[in-house]
Amino acid sequence: MAQQGNVGELLSMLDSPSLGVLEDITAAFKDNLICDRGPMLVNNLVDYYLETNSQQALHILSTLQEPHDKHLLDKINEYMGKAATRLPILSLLGHVIRRQPSWKHKLSQAPLLLSLLKCLKTDTDVVVLTTGVLVLITMLPMIPQSGKQYLHDFFGIFGRLSAWCLQNPGHVAEIYLVHLHASVYALFHRLYGMYPCNFVSFLRSHYSMKENLETFEEVVKPMMEHVRIHPELVTGSKDHELDPRRWKRLETHDVVIECAKISLDPAEASYEDGYYSASRKPCTNLKHHQTDPSASHYIDTQSSYGTSTPYSTPRLTLSQMPGQLPQILSPQSIQLSTEPQQVTIWSPSAVCGMTTPPTSPGIVPSESSQSSSQPYSKAFGTSAGGKGTPLGTPATSPPPSTSDDFVHVSLPSAAATPPKKEDKSDSGRPLLYRQQNVTNSDKSLDTPGSKSSVTLSDLPEFLGGLSFEDSAEKDREEDAISKEISEITTDAEHMVPRGGFDSPFYRTNESLSGSQKKTQSAVSGVQGHGQTSEPLTSSLDKPGPESARETPKQTFTPIDKPCGGSGESPAGNREGTSGETSILTPSPCKVPAQRRVVFGGGQPPLYEHLFEVALPKTAYLFVGKKTEELLKKVKGTQDEDCMASTSPVEVLDRLIQQGADAHTKELNKLSLPSKSADWTHFGGSPPSDEIHTLRNQLLLLHNQLLYERFKRQQHALRNRRLLRKVIKATALEEHNAAMKDQLKLQEKEIQALKLSLQKEQARYHQFQEEHENIVAQLHSQIRQLQHDREEFYNQSQELQTKLEDCRNMIADLRLELKKANNKVCHTELLLSQVSQKLSNSESVQQQMEFLNRQLLVLGEVNELYLEQLQHKHTDTTKVEMLHAAYRKDLEKAKLCVQQQSQRLEASQKRIAELESQLSKKDHLFVEQKKYLEDVKIKARGQLQAVESRYKAQKRITQAFELEILDLFGRLEKSSLLKKLEDEKTEAAEAAEERLDCGNEGCADAVAGYSEETIGRNGETKPPSTRGSSSSKAGSNSELSTPEKNQNQRFINRWETSMLLEPSTTVPLTVGSLPSSQSFLGMKSRELFRNKSESQCDEQGGTINSLSDTLKTELCKDPNMETKAPPSPNNSLSPKIPESSVGQLHIMDYNETHHDHS
Amino acid sequence: MADDSQRNFRSVYYEKVGFRGVEEKKSLEILLKDDRLDIEKLCTFSQRFPLPSMYRILVWKVLLGIIPPHHKSHALVMNFRKEQYWDVHHALRVIRFINDSTPQVDVFLRIHQLESGKLPRNLAFPLEPEDEVFLAIAKAMEEMVEDPIECYWLVTSFVNQLNSKHKDALQQLPKILEQYLNIEDNRLLMHLKACAAMSKLPYDLWFKKCFAGCLPESSLQRVWDKIISGSCKILVFVALEILLTFKMKIIALTTAEKITQFLENIPQDNTDAIVSKAVDLWHTHCGTPAHSV
Repeated sequence: MAQQGNVGELLSMLDSPSLGVLEDITAAFKDNLICDRGPMLVNNLVDYYLETNSQQALHILSTLQEPHDKHLLDKINEYMGKAATRLPILSLLGHVIRRQPSWKHKLSQAPLLLSLLKCLKTDTDVVVLTTGVLVLITMLPMIPQSGKQYLHDFFGIFGRLSAWCLQNPGHVAEIYLVHLHASVYALFHRLYGMYPCNFVSFLRSHYSMKENLETFEEVVKPMMEHVRIHPELVTGSKDHELDPRRWKRLETHDVVIECAKISLDPAEASYEDGYYSASRKPCTNLKHHQTDPSASHYIDTQSSYGTSTPYSTPRLTLSQMPGQLPQILSPQSIQLSTEPQQVTIWSPSAVCGMTTPPTSPGIVPSESSQSSSQPYSKAFGTSAGGKGTPLGTPATSPPPSTSDDFVHVSLPSAAATPPKKEDKSDSGRPLLYRQQNVTNSDKSLDTPGSKSSVTLSDLPEFLGGLSFEDSAEKDREEDAISKEISEITTDAEHMVPRGGFDSPFYRTNESLSGSQKKTQSAVSGVQGHGQTSEPLTSSLDKPGPESARETPKQTFTPIDKPCGGSGESPAGNREGTSGETSILTPSPCKVPAQRRVVFGGGQPPLYEHLFEVALPKTAYLFVGKKTEELLKKVKGTQDEDCMASTSPVEVLDRLIQQGADAHTKELNKLSLPSKSADWTHFGGSPPSDEIHTLRNQLLLLHNQLLYERFKRQQHALRNRRLLRKVIKATALEEHNAAMKDQLKLQEKEIQALKLSLQKEQARYHQFQEEHENIVAQLHSQIRQLQHDREEFYNQSQELQTKLEDCRNMIADLRLELKKANNKVCHTELLLSQVSQKLSNSESVQQQMEFLNRQLLVLGEVNELYLEQLQHKHTDTTKVEMLHAAYRKDLEKAKLCVQQQSQRLEASQKRIAELESQLSKKDHLFVEQKKYLEDVKIKARGQLQAVESRYKAQKRITQAFELEILDLFGRLEKSSLLKKLEDEKTEAAEAAEERLDCGNEGCADAVAGYSEETIGRNGETKPPSTRGSSSSKAGSNSELSTPEKNQNQRFINRWETSMLLEPSTTVPLTVGSLPSSQSFLGMKSRELFRNKSESQCDEQGGTINSLSDTLKTELCKDPNMETKAPPSPNNSLSPKIPESSVGQLHIMDYNETHHDHS
Repeated sequence: MADDSQRNFRSVYYEKVGFRGVEEKKSLEILLKDDRLDIEKLCTFSQRFPLPSMYRILVWKVLLGIIPPHHKSHALVMNFRKEQYWDVHHALRVIRFINDSTPQVDVFLRIHQLESGKLPRNLAFPLEPEDEVFLAIAKAMEEMVEDPIECYWLVTSFVNQLNSKHKDALQQLPKILEQYLNIEDNRLLMHLKACAAMSKLPYDLWFKKCFAGCLPESSLQRVWDKIISGSCKILVFVALEILLTFKMKIIALTTAEKITQFLENIPQDNTDAIVSKAVDLWHTHCGTPAHSV
């Protein structure tokens, strides 16, 4: 509560007149705002502002920081709902928004926007609507991407308001409609610039409806004449232009400029027109400018002068009609003349500072207000603005005034319509002055001068054609103009100071001359006139201002004079900047105005200065507005008639100017000092609604102004940015230049180095040549030497070959020597041999001789014998007989030989036969042998069987013997028993029986008995018998035991009968052995032995022994054989029966053999 | 080799595919056609193949040396043998060792005893183990051979061969049996050893009597073929096969006495199979004798 009270106090103190208190309070508020986050303070402030319309409160509110924005917006929203507070709250909102608070992006989400839109859709109050639309237009570039959701609302509002403009449903004053129209026009530009596709489609759909057609024809279509086709319509799409990405790149001022770019309306596009014009002639200059520093200056100046129509016109004229050089030149000169004061710092910022208000927002309004109000105040308030100010203003003109010019100039340039020609002439007029300025300095520019004269001469025509002034005055004007022209052409210098009588103009003039150089150079750079103009202007630079200062008073009069008569024309022209006003205003007004010009020439500057310093800008505005309103009130709605074709802004401007004119007229009736007090009085007692209307109008104008100011701020921002770019560019330029210098230096260095290199190369070449020469010499020497060497080498080789030849020769000779020696030796030998032979031959000769002698002797003897032979020739018969006998003998011998050979053959055949027989026999023999073998084996098998049988028989006999003996034993026992018992009679009988068989060995019986007993007891009998059988051959004779003897006796008895004959044959058989002893016998025996040895195991013993004996016998001498038989016979006598069998066989064998053989 | 052309050319393959004895008779006939019989070939043949019964007696006689290899002397030699037999027979009758009522086997025994000079002094003399063996063999042989003279000679020769040729080998047979049993069926051997029956097996019946009285004659013939042809190892395998065949029963029996008793009286139904298996086993273990036919 205390705080609330405190707040109330603070609020009450907010508007205290004391500056110190004011600052304290403001600081206190700010502290509070920082500390307190609650909505209360903000609410209070808003309330306070609404109550008191306090500027301080407004200031505080518009600088609110982040956390309070919500409260503020809420509050505004709240008040927006109430119809009563809508207007002030809207203006508050406008103020706040124009400040571009840091939280501006929140606006799109705030309900405030909705309520604002709703208000715009529904409200019927024109003032509110106009204000709201301006606020909306201001707001749109700040929230471009978020605004898209309300796009149709915007379009709807546009549709509604455009229709409103035409139909005026609220039947409000026409004057409001002008404002509304202007704001709708701005909205149109904004929407078209930001959302062309959507907007166009909206227009298409909205105005295709019949009921809207009229609106379109009347309102929208003229608007469309002031825009060119948006590039986005070609390249973009509905979605693309709503794309947040597109907007993110652009800042608020970018958006504003973007919108301005597409405008053809100089009023609306005034700020951006520099760009606009620049962009329109990119082919010629723009590219240039960006690269060329001078061009950039030019751009800057252009931009600075972008506001000034003359400058843009030459462009247009240039591009459109190149022939109009004067017009081209003149704008330049105009520019030059209008060049800002800070020319020395030709930088664009300086220029901007001149043309546009300083960048700081604090200064901007004051400056602008000053500049804007200046001419009017001069013109109306002091009646001095008549001629001087208008002349000066175009150059230094702040936006509003320049915009006037712009309108006039741009229109003719854009289209060659007759009514706009007048504007052209308007522009021409200022050109004239400027050109005069130029020509002052630039006397060589005759042609421009003449040309300008042409235009000037045209001017009156235009004026005459267009203006609704009376012709008389026109004639006068014409005269005045022609005079003026002549004056200018003859002595241009005098013309310059004419503007100088007006202090602001004078000032600008100074600056103009100063700045001329830059602009001139820039222009010349572009247009090619620089060659002539530049030096001149530069030469003019210094004297220019001086002369300008000096001249004012000199020229003052001459100009004044024409002004008095025809001076109206420049004034009119200049004023004609406000062409319509001059047209519309009654002619009488002009004359006093002219006077006023002269009159107020000294005063207005003073007033102006005072005004600037003394009054706060609101006061300026207030005064300006009031006057405007008054004027409007007076002039009524006359303007509207011709507005149709012009842009709404222009219409508004005209309205204001008319108001101003009216105001000045009215004011003129009053004394100047009392003017401020009396102006209300001048209207007498206007009706209350009139006052209300005026107030509203004032408000609207204020709003408009604020809106324009906002635009200007944006522009300033942009300017600053561009300036930075320029600085950078220049820096780069300088850097480039430095680099170029360096490059040049380095190139020089390189060249020097190249030179030295060449020198070095030459030297090197020299050296090389020398070196080559030396090398060549050396080479030749070497070649020579080599040649010599080769020669020597050849010589040596020749010598060597010779040497070898010699050696060979020597060797050959030696060989020959050897050969010769050999030959010698040989010959010696031969010689010796020959000598020997010789001696031999000698001896042989001797012998020959001896033999010859002998031969002779023998020959003689032979002769002798021959003689004897002849004597004995009769004995031949005997010889023949002998011969025959010998032949017979020979025949006989031959026969004998034949016989012998035949016998031999026969015998040979015989031998062969015998041999074959022999072989056959051999074969047979072999067969026989085989057979024999066979037979032998067969026989052996049989023999084995027989053997076994024999053995069996022996066993049988043994068994029998045993049995018999047993029986005997028993018998004897029984007989003995009987003997013991019987008598002797019986004994005698027994004795007889005993004699029969016991005479051989009854004695042995006892021994045999004993033997049997032993055999029974010890069973030794079988071995003994076996042993006896095995060792029979050798031991039978020795083993002549009694028992054996008995056996043998028994056998012998059987055998003796048989053996008696064999015993006689034994010697025979033995004797036959030797006969078979030769070949066959031996073989048979061997075979026998082998077989017997291998096969006969059991018989082996006996047969072996037999063969052994045979062997031993055979081995003995044949002589011994005769003796041998008896001895075996003796020893073998008991054995014979056994061996006889074998012997028989052998004998058989031998016999068979013998038979065979 | 002209004989080969008469033989079936498939004979070579019969054996390969498992047929046996198809061509044996023929090859035996070829062998027997030779005038001087090749005893070695006959031996090999007899070892390899079972002899056809119609030639068995002849082959046995030849192999045992009862008749010589020459055909011509067969009649003569047999005549001798016959005379010898009858001589001895007569002598035995004379000395009253035998009479008409004496069984043939006893007659054979006495004749043998007489011929080997072992005739006891008295009939009352107890029979020796040798004689028991002889009697068993003779009994078996009597079944096989009709003619008493041939029978006597075969028995005598057989016994003589056993006593002379195989005397040493026969004593080794129990050991060999154990060895092969270990190879064939270790478990059975373990069982037998556990029962201590290994030493109490009827070795006399098996190895001395050559299964005479143990196997029926039809089976026995085939065993004796091998023995007569010179191999007494077959006895081991027959015994082994008997053990293996009656393995389950033997394992069921736990005492040596029972085992011995069982083995001495084995069932006679499938002895042919036993012998066949035994011959196979013998062939696998000792290898087939070289085919020199």
